Amino acid sequence: MTTLVIAWRNIFRNRRRSALTLLAIVVGAVAVLLFGGFVTSILFGLQTNTVRAIGHLQVFRQGYFEFGAGKPGAYGIKDYARVLRLIRDDAALQPLIRVLTPTLQVFGIAGNFAENTSRTFYGRALIPSDRLRMWAWDGLGIGNTSLRQLAMSDDDRDGGVIGVGLARILHECAALKVLNCTDGPSEADVSPDLPAEDFSSLIEIDPPASSGAAVDRRPKIDLLAATVAGAPNVVTLQLNGVERQGAKELDDNYVLMHLDLGQRLLYGRGEHQVTGLVIQLHHSSDVAGARRELRRLFAAQGLDLDVRDYTELNPFYLQVIAMFGAIFGFLAVIMGVIVLFTVVNTMSMSVMERTAEIGTIRALGLRRSGVRRLFLAEGLVLGVLSASLGLLVGLGLSFLVNRAGLTWTPPTSVDPVPLRVMVAGNPLLLAGCWFGLVALSALSSLLPANKAARLEVVDALRHG
Amino acid sequence: MTRTSSLPPPGDIVVRLRDVSKTYLLGAVAVPGLHELSLEIGRATFSVIVGPSGSGKTTLLNLIGGIDRPSAGTVEVAGQDLGGLGDDRRSDFRARNIGFIFQSFNLIPVLSAYENVEYPLLLTRVAAAERRRRVMALLDAVGIGDQSRRRPNQMSGGQRQRVAIARALVKDPVLVLADEPTANLDSRTGAQIIALMHAMQTRCRTSFVVSSHDPQVMEQADETFTIRDGALIDRHCRATS
Repeated sequence: MTTLVIAWRNIFRNRRRSALTLLAIVVGAVAVLLFGGFVTSILFGLQTNTVRAIGHLQVFRQGYFEFGAGKPGAYGIKDYARVLRLIRDDAALQPLIRVLTPTLQVFGIAGNFAENTSRTFYGRALIPSDRLRMWAWDGLGIGNTSLRQLAMSDDDRDGGVIGVGLARILHECAALKVLNCTDGPSEADVSPDLPAEDFSSLIEIDPPASSGAAVDRRPKIDLLAATVAGAPNVVTLQLNGVERQGAKELDDNYVLMHLDLGQRLLYGRGEHQVTGLVIQLHHSSDVAGARRELRRLFAAQGLDLDVRDYTELNPFYLQVIAMFGAIFGFLAVIMGVIVLFTVVNTMSMSVMERTAEIGTIRALGLRRSGVRRLFLAEGLVLGVLSASLGLLVGLGLSFLVNRAGLTWTPPTSVDPVPLRVMVAGNPLLLAGCWFGLVALSALSSLLPANKAARLEVVDALRHG
Repeated sequence: MTRTSSLPPPGDIVVRLRDVSKTYLLGAVAVPGLHELSLEIGRATFSVIVGPSGSGKTTLLNLIGGIDRPSAGTVEVAGQDLGGLGDDRRSDFRARNIGFIFQSFNLIPVLSAYENVEYPLLLTRVAAAERRRRVMALLDAVGIGDQSRRRPNQMSGGQRQRVAIARALVKDPVLVLADEPTANLDSRTGAQIIALMHAMQTRCRTSFVVSSHDPQVMEQADETFTIRDGALIDRHCRATS
């Protein structure tokens, strides 16, 4: 008969009080687990979306990350095909990399001269098939529920998509048949005093198609940007559709185009370069290792290249993690305090009611440390029982929530996503919650246990 | 006045108190419990401490049992000066040498009769087989061998006190202290318990020190110590035939 057996029986001595204490701890465990599971789901979703969109790592020319936004073309990676080859052929990197693809960032003015409307744009140029492969990444196992369809193909070098906001501004909603999108008023209606022309005079109007060539009847816009040499350059983007962006600011500027078109816009007839090489790994856990290996490779080859990971490229990611971490921590502390006071109260009542019993076992020869151990064991058993029960209830509830078909729209996202609570398969959360509650419960019983151990035998026996 | 007949020889002394005083502090007021009390109790005797309520009987038992410390004087049990022991060593000393029988039985409610009797042996780390042998032998000896699985709340007062007697004796102590052991029992059960205690004392050759008002208890006494106002006023030994 050990201390734990006695502790176990003492817990069931006052069933109602123990049940209430158990319930308080179970509720605390369930709250922490469900919220923790929800936060995990958000963070997994955020990481998945980020990695799908921008990869794990990006390679830039030194200085591009800090200054490239002002003049991306000036920070182009020359002979990027060689760099791509070097990375692909590296024995250490090869097994880690899932997608390696060049990308180009372009800033300029987008215009629909037929409608006499224009605005600045932020453009990304890429290889469509690589982008589709990147969107299929599911390294965290959240599923491909938000897998996008891309209205672009590798063969369609003049095609692309724009944000819904930009389509509205450039009067392309009707032409692209975009739902819930109305073409804006013309500039002549809004500001009749402004001159009618902007950069449309720079555009060479396509000659009428010859009888043999197919006429591209897709809606189109014109993109104006300064080439690396500083000369204005214009290309025509054939619109295949729209891609709604989560933030309005981006949605009003967004242009996605084929890499070839972006290079023609930014480099004209000069050497085609890219502003970055996007690397998507099989596993996020390989980021640090892959980054180290890339740096080693670039140093060995004398390449003036910099490597940044997705947390640096998307500061929002770390901000969201920090925010949810703070909320989760706050909730956990509140629950911890409730558990602490509940256990302290229960154990203090127990000590008070069992004062004579404490005197008896002390008289029989149990040391003070034995009394302390007995009450600590009760706190421990209470913690183990309630934390285990809390885990079971939390797992059950998360199972129900995950199958309830609930959805929600995360911040900066466009489409609603299933409301998921990732408790099962989240060993860190489960273990942290279980051990945390057990430790807290045992710790909470320390104060009453010390009080019991300090009792003088004769004083305790008088309570009989 | 102390009447003495047939004092125990020095080597057979189990309990020796020398000029023991105990003063309690009630706020700023000092309340005397015992005053310069000296006595000796022989080995394997059935001693009874009598006296009116508040005379200091329980205080005296607490000091002999090492669960309280005297304000002055020395308490020796089985040749060990209890004042020289720290708290843990006094606990260990009690665990090995002193058995307690309480007025309210003081059994541990979550333990069965068997487990209550076994508990002192767990404190002294007696091997499991030996524990079982000793516990069952004592439960049989006190007449409740068939009740061993019962919890205290499933037993009568007399049965509980039998368990308490077995618990006190199971570790084969040199001394058993019983504070008003029949006070919560009816006279018939009380008589049975006293008879049992005396029988067990004879069988186990253990010293019993019992505080009581009960004339039935006094009839069984080898020695009777009478105290009043914290002082020993009479010591009476039953003449051996």
